[in-house]
Amino acid sequence: MKYRKIAALTLSLIMAVSVAACGSSSDTQKNADDNAATPSTESNNDAEPAGGDSAESTDITLWTYPIGNWGDSATVDGLISNFETAHPDINVTVEYLDYTNGDDQINTAIEGGQAPDIVLEGPERLVANWGAKGLMVDLADLWTDDAKEAIYDSVENACQDANGVFYEYPLCMTAHTMAINRDMFEAADALQYLDEETRTWTTENFQKAVKAVYDSGQTDVGAVYCSGQGGDQGTRALVNNLYGGTFTNAEHTEYTAGSDENIKALELLNSMEGIKFDSSIAGGDEINLFCNGTLGMAFCWNVAQEKGNADAINFDVLPMAFPTESGDPQLCGGIWGFGIFDNGDEAKISAAKTFIDFMANDETQAVESVKASSYWPVKDLGNIYSDDELMTEYSVFVPYMGDYYQVVGGWAEARTAWWNMLQQIGSGTDVKTAVDEFVTTANAAAAAAQ
Amino acid sequence: MEKKNPMSKALVRRETLAGYSFMLPSLVFFVGFVIYPMIMCIYTGFFDSTMNREDIFIGISNYKELFQDSIFLGALKNTVIIVVVSVPVTCIFSLWVSSVIYNLTGPICSAFRVIFYLPVVTGSVAVTVVWRWMFNNYYGIFNYIGNKTGVLDRNINWLGDEKYALACIIIILLTTSVGQPIVLYVSALNNVDQSLVEAAEVDGATKFQCFWKIKWPQIMPTTLYILVITTINSFQCFALIQLLTSGGPNHSTDTIMYYIYYNAFKLYRYGYGNAMGVILAIIIAVLSALQFKMAKSE
Repeated sequence: MKYRKIAALTLSLIMAVSVAACGSSSDTQKNADDNAATPSTESNNDAEPAGGDSAESTDITLWTYPIGNWGDSATVDGLISNFETAHPDINVTVEYLDYTNGDDQINTAIEGGQAPDIVLEGPERLVANWGAKGLMVDLADLWTDDAKEAIYDSVENACQDANGVFYEYPLCMTAHTMAINRDMFEAADALQYLDEETRTWTTENFQKAVKAVYDSGQTDVGAVYCSGQGGDQGTRALVNNLYGGTFTNAEHTEYTAGSDENIKALELLNSMEGIKFDSSIAGGDEINLFCNGTLGMAFCWNVAQEKGNADAINFDVLPMAFPTESGDPQLCGGIWGFGIFDNGDEAKISAAKTFIDFMANDETQAVESVKASSYWPVKDLGNIYSDDELMTEYSVFVPYMGDYYQVVGGWAEARTAWWNMLQQIGSGTDVKTAVDEFVTTANAAAAAAQ
Repeated sequence: MEKKNPMSKALVRRETLAGYSFMLPSLVFFVGFVIYPMIMCIYTGFFDSTMNREDIFIGISNYKELFQDSIFLGALKNTVIIVVVSVPVTCIFSLWVSSVIYNLTGPICSAFRVIFYLPVVTGSVAVTVVWRWMFNNYYGIFNYIGNKTGVLDRNINWLGDEKYALACIIIILLTTSVGQPIVLYVSALNNVDQSLVEAAEVDGATKFQCFWKIKWPQIMPTTLYILVITTINSFQCFALIQLLTSGGPNHSTDTIMYYIYYNAFKLYRYGYGNAMGVILAIIIAVLSALQFKMAKSE
């Protein structure tokens, strides 16, 4: 009995001590954070970069989506090492996200008050989502007049909200393309329908090419993948380009995907032999199926896909712009850069800005940072890929970059509604009915976001 | 009249105190991680609760909306189909397999147990990935065999076609559900009083009569447990859906659990998701109570 009482008491004590220890640890951490904040705030008031002359170091966290090799720890470690050498008073901890769970991880962190200091992603998240919710820091002081002059106008527009507040400082950009299996097209005598020099083709020739490949025995020519939102820029660009439709209005305040042009495009795709609406695959699956030769074309493609899948591909890949009636493709672009979460700690915010400035603007580092992304710079840094044949090949698509509409309100809801709409069409729902439902849902989300 | 012993009262108090002290650690965790979230779930169900803003009290609006939400009603229907198909099939199949193997001895019995229990102990992600490959639209083994044998004249998009997707989910669910019931039934059948069976056989009872009149009543508690557990597991089918179809195509494989996840963690409608959770809990509780009652009356 005595033994049991002692054992029970010990257990209770361990419990109590553990709980107390947790509380104590948090308090200590909080105090440490407070202490760290004080001197750096002062240095910030003196217009010094965070930790610039401060004796104490500042710890910041960078969460990065897999943008080229910014998702590869070996590459990022090198970049961080360069920064920490130049700024020994700032320590950067990196966490790697993926596009399947990344949003959930960040949103959970926001809810728990543990959002990262810096996140590397695009305007659709930094500006239209977290920025619009008031979670991000205004980066106006990074957007100096020199920066505005140097960075391309379309990129500058994408990095700010309707009120002109900058929530992203851009690093790199690319144009999302599609790709065809050149060997397969050649065997089907379908290369005659496309322009290999300009990498463009007309909607009519696209139909002829798909038919030729299908008739040659390749029944799975292309797939309008729609099991989820992964790679959905490909299906959007395909639909918008075929007959010159748009996804939003020019002001990015309303979804216009229900236009006659888009409905016509969806009806065309739904009727084409060789193209199927496949709700069992998403963009990543489509890329795999293209790379292993199962599909004759991929709608979800860019230079990073060709580089990343080089070992799996045993045919000649021909990247192409999406087919259009007018011969003027409008490719969906990707712009990636840094945003800072407003965690209320001026020292960390200041350190984060120092980090961004170093990565994107330092003369030697900027080239390395952009190269790590496998994409192109957002300002003229010279021909940074002069020795890279593949990058030179893909640079033909950069001028085709269209409107960056992903900053429209209710973007997250609209993306979900888009693949649901494609699933409906694939399941036999009337195209107009499905598109109308999409537009209603998306515009309701856009209105709610305003 | 018997006089109360004051020492025994003190002893009882000490014993009680010691008992509660032992319980305290797990009680704290239970309250913190089970009871508190349950209360919060019910509470939040009355709010329009989302990220980065204060919750707004909306009374029973979430519940009203639920029963006008065609996707929720579709998910409820799919969930009921999964339960109605998988629970009886799982119970009958596992009872049949157990009846065949329970009196086998040595390695044969162990081999059967391992075969049927393997999907249970294998990680659900690994199991799902293999099934996903087998059902693949382009190079899956089912399409391959179907085409080679002439059963199919073209590939079927098993997981991407509304006609087949839910059936595929149920088949996979069955393979992962039968392992535990088989092990439980084998154990229960081995505990049946053999003298009663032998006596019945001597009196001329057939094998079916022996099973129905002697073994079945004795394994009824196990059956009840299996029914309740299988029903709850079927209602809570989530991982398969998440990994295989994400509720598609066109919401044809949405279940209540997946729809809760979708609303709470994709659309960030916590209040609405919690309201669904409450409805699901009520359904499971009512069904379990009914199962207990029916089993008791039998």
